[in-house]
Amino acid sequence: MNEVSKILVIDDEAVMRDGCCRILAREQCEVVTAANGEEGLAAIQRDPHGFEVVLLDLKMPGMSGMEVLEATRELNPALLIVVITGYATVDSAVEAMKKGAYDFIPKPFTPDQLRLVVNRAVEKRRLELETQRLKAEAARSLRDVATEKSKVKTIITCMADGVLVTDREGRIVLTNPAAGRMLGLRLDACLEKPLHEAIADEKLNEAVQEVMQPEDRDVATISQDLQIGDSLIRAHTAAVKSEEGEQLGAVTVLEDMTYLLELDRMRADFIAMVSHELRSPISAVEQNINLILKGLAGQTTEKQRHLLSRAKERSRGLLDLVSDLLEMSKIDAGIALQRKERLQVEEVVNKVVELMEGEAQAKGIALHREIAPSLAPVLGDRDNLEGVFTNLVSNAMKYTPTGGEVRVEMEHEGDYVKTVVADTGIGISKEDLARIFDKFYRVKSEKTRGIVGTGLGLSIVKSIVEAHFGSITVESEEGKGTAFTVLLPHLPAS
Amino acid sequence: MAKKILIVDDDPDLVEAVSTILESKGYEVSAAYGGIEGLEKAKTENPDLIVLDIMMPDKDGYVVCKELKADPKYRSIPVLLLTAVVSKLSTTRYTQQMGMETEADDYVDKPVEPEELVRRIEALLSR
Repeated sequence: MNEVSKILVIDDEAVMRDGCCRILAREQCEVVTAANGEEGLAAIQRDPHGFEVVLLDLKMPGMSGMEVLEATRELNPALLIVVITGYATVDSAVEAMKKGAYDFIPKPFTPDQLRLVVNRAVEKRRLELETQRLKAEAARSLRDVATEKSKVKTIITCMADGVLVTDREGRIVLTNPAAGRMLGLRLDACLEKPLHEAIADEKLNEAVQEVMQPEDRDVATISQDLQIGDSLIRAHTAAVKSEEGEQLGAVTVLEDMTYLLELDRMRADFIAMVSHELRSPISAVEQNINLILKGLAGQTTEKQRHLLSRAKERSRGLLDLVSDLLEMSKIDAGIALQRKERLQVEEVVNKVVELMEGEAQAKGIALHREIAPSLAPVLGDRDNLEGVFTNLVSNAMKYTPTGGEVRVEMEHEGDYVKTVVADTGIGISKEDLARIFDKFYRVKSEKTRGIVGTGLGLSIVKSIVEAHFGSITVESEEGKGTAFTVLLPHLPAS
Repeated sequence: MAKKILIVDDDPDLVEAVSTILESKGYEVSAAYGGIEGLEKAKTENPDLIVLDIMMPDKDGYVVCKELKADPKYRSIPVLLLTAVVSKLSTTRYTQQMGMETEADDYVDKPVEPEELVRRIEALLSR
């Protein structure tokens, strides 16, 4: 025993007190003595939990040992009292035991007997304390579990997303108000019910069954859109497994998409409105300028025609900007890419290049194609991809002087169809290169001054390519040329 | 005798501009400022060709065109659609396809280039 035990000896005989002190001091005990009952009880009253064991003589003048015993039991029932019975009568010992004494030791006793009895009492006291401590600890961790449970419950209840937990047998064990709202459930009525009884939606039931299949498969989560009443609900269902990989149940998280769809629709309406409201007046302005320029409104001077053609160029720029902006917002809204189909990118590229050949010839630029045979198909939006390559090829031609060359090369690269549009044009400086995909960014220099553009083209191109899960990169050297590389993930060739 | 062309567009500025171009080429021009009025005039005035705007508030050009082409009496009148989309990216192609689905005979982008418009109209009338 490492700790020092505090022991109180109450005996009217000084010999006994000294003897106990001497014997117990060797047992790592701190011994306090009292010469009579009153003195002993006072010591206990001062600090009822200050002693582990009390050695108490039953027969003392004044307050008797039995009285001290009773009073002590009231002060601290846990205090262990060993009575010393002077005239070895079993009766008084039994009576003391009845009144709550822990043990007794008859006088006279040997040092070993005393040590044995005291050590036993101290040991018991220690075990009692240890038990108490463990009990308190268990209570605390139970309380922690309860707190944690209530915390999780609060979080789940407050969530805007719906949560639906089913057990191994497919019974609903946990859900939240959001799920109730989305699925039209009454929370109190559906708990413990099998899922298929509470929810009619077959897709959801199938998903829960599917993730609960015993064999371990690659598909960990099933995500799907459910049409429930007027709402569109996106449901993600996953299995819950124990550490040993045993299926415990399934969790479904529900997201209400109705509001997002409504937002998309409003955005589309807005785009259509802006498209008409902005384009019409600009196009009317240009229309009238056209008429005057063609002499349909009377004779014009050279100066007037020059000014009008400047005005026309600016209004055309504005019209292009509006178109690009609308295209951009359509792509941002995901509207423009709703017509994805299985297609051959080289068909799109060929068409674009053929359309540009006239312009290339007129500008004195050699436009070459090098397309690897039997390229795999791609899942894409034909019109938008046409826009991408039209933009890249026409950009390449814009920034390439007469006598230069524009090359379009296509081949496979891993899981991608790679298209490179390279020119021998003026190139792009390092500083500009980092920003050319930014919205409204245009390279400003002596050489680009005469070139009209909106600054949106490449950012639209990037958005479209990314909406196809592809990537676009650029390499360039000033004065040498620029090469854009578009990677589009291909489908397995059929 | 001068050929008669009906212009249908809700934008009076555009009607005036197109009229000016066509009158300068000696065509007789009549105007309607909406889809419903356009459809009426097409039936009462029996023009040789119709220049038809797509985006109109009361009845759009697709619907007007469809109704005309569905009627055997007016099916033969050539319809030239005016599309409000400049040839950016390939939205034009989409609009054009929509136009073709409604059996329009040709289309021209707004703003109209005078020579282009006249060329298309001459081609349609000489068919």
